[in-house]
Amino acid sequence: MRLAWAMVRHRFAAFAGTFVAVALGVAVVAGATTIYLSSRPEAPERYNSAPVLVRSPSVGDNAFGEPEYQSWTAGEAIRLSGELAKLPGVTAAAVDPVFYAQRVIAGRPAGDPQDALLAGHAWSSAALGGYRLAAGTAPRGPGEVVVAGVAPGSRMPVLTAAGPATWTVTGTVDGPGFYVADREALRMSAGVRVIGLTVDGDAEAVAGAARGVVGPAGEVVSGGARDSLEPVSVTRTRWLGAQLLIAMVVLGGFVAVFVVASTCALGAAQRRREIGLLRAVGATPGQVRRLMYAETLVISTMAALAGLPLGALTAPLLTGPLVDTGLEPAGFTVTMQPAALAGSFVLGVVVALAGVAVAARRASRAPALDALREAAVERRAMTPLRWIAGAATAALGTLLLVTMPMMATTDQSSAGLGAAMLLLTAAAALAPIVIVPLVRLVTWPWRGAATGMLVREGTLIAVRRVASTAAPVLLTVGFTVLLTGTVATIDDVQGQHDADNIPATVVLAPDGVPGLAETAVQAQAGTSHLPTRLLVTRGATTAGYDAEGAPPSELGPGPAGSSGGVVLDKTRAKDLHASVGTTLDVRWADGSTAALPVRAIRAAAGAGILVPRELARQHDPAALTSAVLLNGPPVASVGARPMSARDYVQIEIDEEGELIDLFLLVLIGLTVGYTGLAVANTLLMATSARRPEFRTLRLAGATEAQILRVTSAEALLAVAVGTLLGAGVAVASLSGVRAAVEAELDRAVALVVPWGTAAAVIATCTVVALAATTLPVLRRSRSAT
Amino acid sequence: MTTANNPPAVELRGVTKTYGSGERTVTALDDLDLIFPAGTFTAVMGPSGSGKSTLLHCAAGLDRATGGEVIIDGTPVAGLSERVLTRLRRERVGFVFQAFNLVAALTAAQNVALPLRLAGRKPAAGEVTAMLGEVGLAKRADHRPSELSGGQQQRVAIARALVTRPAVLFADEPTGALDAASGREVLRLLRASVDRHGQTVVMVTHDPFAAAHADRVLFLADGRVVDFLTGPCGAQEIALRTARLEEGRPAEVLS
Repeated sequence: MRLAWAMVRHRFAAFAGTFVAVALGVAVVAGATTIYLSSRPEAPERYNSAPVLVRSPSVGDNAFGEPEYQSWTAGEAIRLSGELAKLPGVTAAAVDPVFYAQRVIAGRPAGDPQDALLAGHAWSSAALGGYRLAAGTAPRGPGEVVVAGVAPGSRMPVLTAAGPATWTVTGTVDGPGFYVADREALRMSAGVRVIGLTVDGDAEAVAGAARGVVGPAGEVVSGGARDSLEPVSVTRTRWLGAQLLIAMVVLGGFVAVFVVASTCALGAAQRRREIGLLRAVGATPGQVRRLMYAETLVISTMAALAGLPLGALTAPLLTGPLVDTGLEPAGFTVTMQPAALAGSFVLGVVVALAGVAVAARRASRAPALDALREAAVERRAMTPLRWIAGAATAALGTLLLVTMPMMATTDQSSAGLGAAMLLLTAAAALAPIVIVPLVRLVTWPWRGAATGMLVREGTLIAVRRVASTAAPVLLTVGFTVLLTGTVATIDDVQGQHDADNIPATVVLAPDGVPGLAETAVQAQAGTSHLPTRLLVTRGATTAGYDAEGAPPSELGPGPAGSSGGVVLDKTRAKDLHASVGTTLDVRWADGSTAALPVRAIRAAAGAGILVPRELARQHDPAALTSAVLLNGPPVASVGARPMSARDYVQIEIDEEGELIDLFLLVLIGLTVGYTGLAVANTLLMATSARRPEFRTLRLAGATEAQILRVTSAEALLAVAVGTLLGAGVAVASLSGVRAAVEAELDRAVALVVPWGTAAAVIATCTVVALAATTLPVLRRSRSAT
Repeated sequence: MTTANNPPAVELRGVTKTYGSGERTVTALDDLDLIFPAGTFTAVMGPSGSGKSTLLHCAAGLDRATGGEVIIDGTPVAGLSERVLTRLRRERVGFVFQAFNLVAALTAAQNVALPLRLAGRKPAAGEVTAMLGEVGLAKRADHRPSELSGGQQQRVAIARALVTRPAVLFADEPTGALDAASGREVLRLLRASVDRHGQTVVMVTHDPFAAAHADRVLFLADGRVVDFLTGPCGAQEIALRTARLEEGRPAEVLS
């Protein structure tokens, strides 16, 4: 250990690459995990004064893994709250219906459309947040509202699911949202899913008593369990953010291992003499291995200690951007997470030790005789370990790529990332095989010139050095081309696919609102669907399904004497084991139940189930229409604007694309930053170690410019090798992705190669490589004079 | 000088070392029988490619012989695992190389203490200083190799090689990278270790003046001992033998 410390202190420069790689890796992981752990579910603020909450029962998890709740009808909710209010210790029980309400200012819908979906509340629920009437009176009748920041008596234009309205402000409240009379709120919302209790005394005792009253009709939550009442939209936002953070941690860890491993391998190769000397004076292979582990332990501990504060201090700065890009919910704050810091520290050290493992193993086997030889010439570039690792990762990566079409679409992106990592590792391990023929080929035109000869012979002798430099370039180019290419190819296909499904040329689309209000839809000549959610019970199981309310003309004639039948598409009919004439037991969004006969089964039926629009509207008063396909001139409405079908689809694609672009930007930025570091470090190390060689060249009459030409040419050669291999892997993988998409869609798909991004990344690598070789040469020549 | 009566520090019995295989086989050592008695100073000379470095490596257990037996301080090395062999080398063999012998990160004292520490032993108080004192560098204990001259570095290397009191010290061209004065200093040190402490020293060199410090000079050619001189021998005599050897008339000399 003392020896390790002396080594590290003496030749810190040689360990700088490992240090920086681990420090940055720890910073990235610490920052990302701090944010990840800070982002926990939290009960909405408006339940702050309700220590006990009762939630409507769940029927099980849906396809997203979220619990699917059934609503209480208004009647059920009022009855239940009445019973709860009578419990000892309960000061009030408030039914909490939620509905869409958005303020209109100067004819334009104001505020965030998604927030508006949950902005409407019943006045009695204001007490759950501890919000009090600051002025005026509580709302009593239709068209009356209490809000914050508007003087009582004002007239306030708003949009609701029914259409535009002008409400009278009767009072002001010190909390966010629109508070209307309880009866009005129940009328505008689709059932009730929460009843809040304000409590005088022991909350747990009240919760226990409440459980007795509620029974199977709901779930009583108190204390930390209240956090599960986080709105689904917030949960999804955090989930998105978590995906990015997880990807960052995985990629950060992977690239750190990669960089540490290549740095250590090169370092060990350069220290062959020193290690041979240690072996000659009596160090056993185990002692050499332990020495290298100890050195890495020292370096990585220092690096991790440097990286931790960097990550912990950067994390809070990212709060704003994360909320702005919709990756964390509004009001998100980063808190200190000791577990994240401790975990990152351990990860950093473990990653560094893993990175040095191969190099240490190889170095410890170096025969002691090496100390006696001027061994600048490598014996073998390819070791059995390299062969095995290369072949294994190549096989695994290929397997992953081939099985990709069989995977769920959601798993395909992570499978693609995994395949890319494996294949790139394989390419890096097997790189020495192709370097020799490649070098011969590339230098052939200059075989007569001194520079050409030096570059050629220099690189052929030091294949490993070239491989070490090429590896990070390979990683960057491969990752960038593969990731952006995959996204671009799938994007391209998706856009066409979605546009194919839109027959009408002009649509009426939401404008600053989460969806179209009923009056805006009714004013148009055209067709539209009203999205809602149904709980369908078949046998012993109940599950939630997306459904759409459709006009009678589209539903077609029903079975004799029934007007309320549903139309299913083939997939849904199979899920539900239903055929024409089967009666489905459904529960509407508002909690009421119905028995609906299946009137037809078609190849396509909207989201899978079509119900009569009238019924959908009646049972889901808060539902909003996503768009109207127009077959007449558009009629101007608040919060709606006409546009071409293609534009409408494009907006949706762009919204999704923006997020994906952000993901790509972060991940590629991370990779490029890291590999830039690796390229620079490798070349700095390699060039510095070639001091004697350059001295000999100078003595033999080479000018500074000639030496620079040789080193630059070698650097470019390494970048070229990395680029070729990386691009090769990427294009092969991209073809796999394309095959997967083609198999899925059963038609030819164009391969989109992201030339611009690739060029930018290659240029960055080239600049870094040239700078990293030129600087040590220049610095030395100055100090030599 | 007594030689024959001392027990052997290192013994080679029918040692053969070949490189490569088939038609391209190169024989570096050809059925060599040699004894390096304890307490003697042997110089090994011979033209390039005569096998003198290979002899040193095999005798020191750094390289394994293709055939025959190498016995270091009574222990046959054939069949020893790398770990056991390393331990044997660490305890019984000292080595001095031509150049760049020291671990650059460590001070002179730390370099000398290295074999002891690698053996898991804490140097006794004054042990390292005493060793450095013997090579005349007590005052340089805290200097790093880069702060020492070539001769001083080589003397530190000798101190390091002798600190374990090995059965035999091998030196591979120890003066090859030094100027004449520094070289003489190093040779005097080696000679003194034999005379004062009964150290066994085996030195490969091509310099007749260096070889003149030895009790015995072996001449190697094509992997065989083709000539030898015993007793204090003059550099001129050695140079003469060397020259004859290189003219390709070893047989005549032997007779």
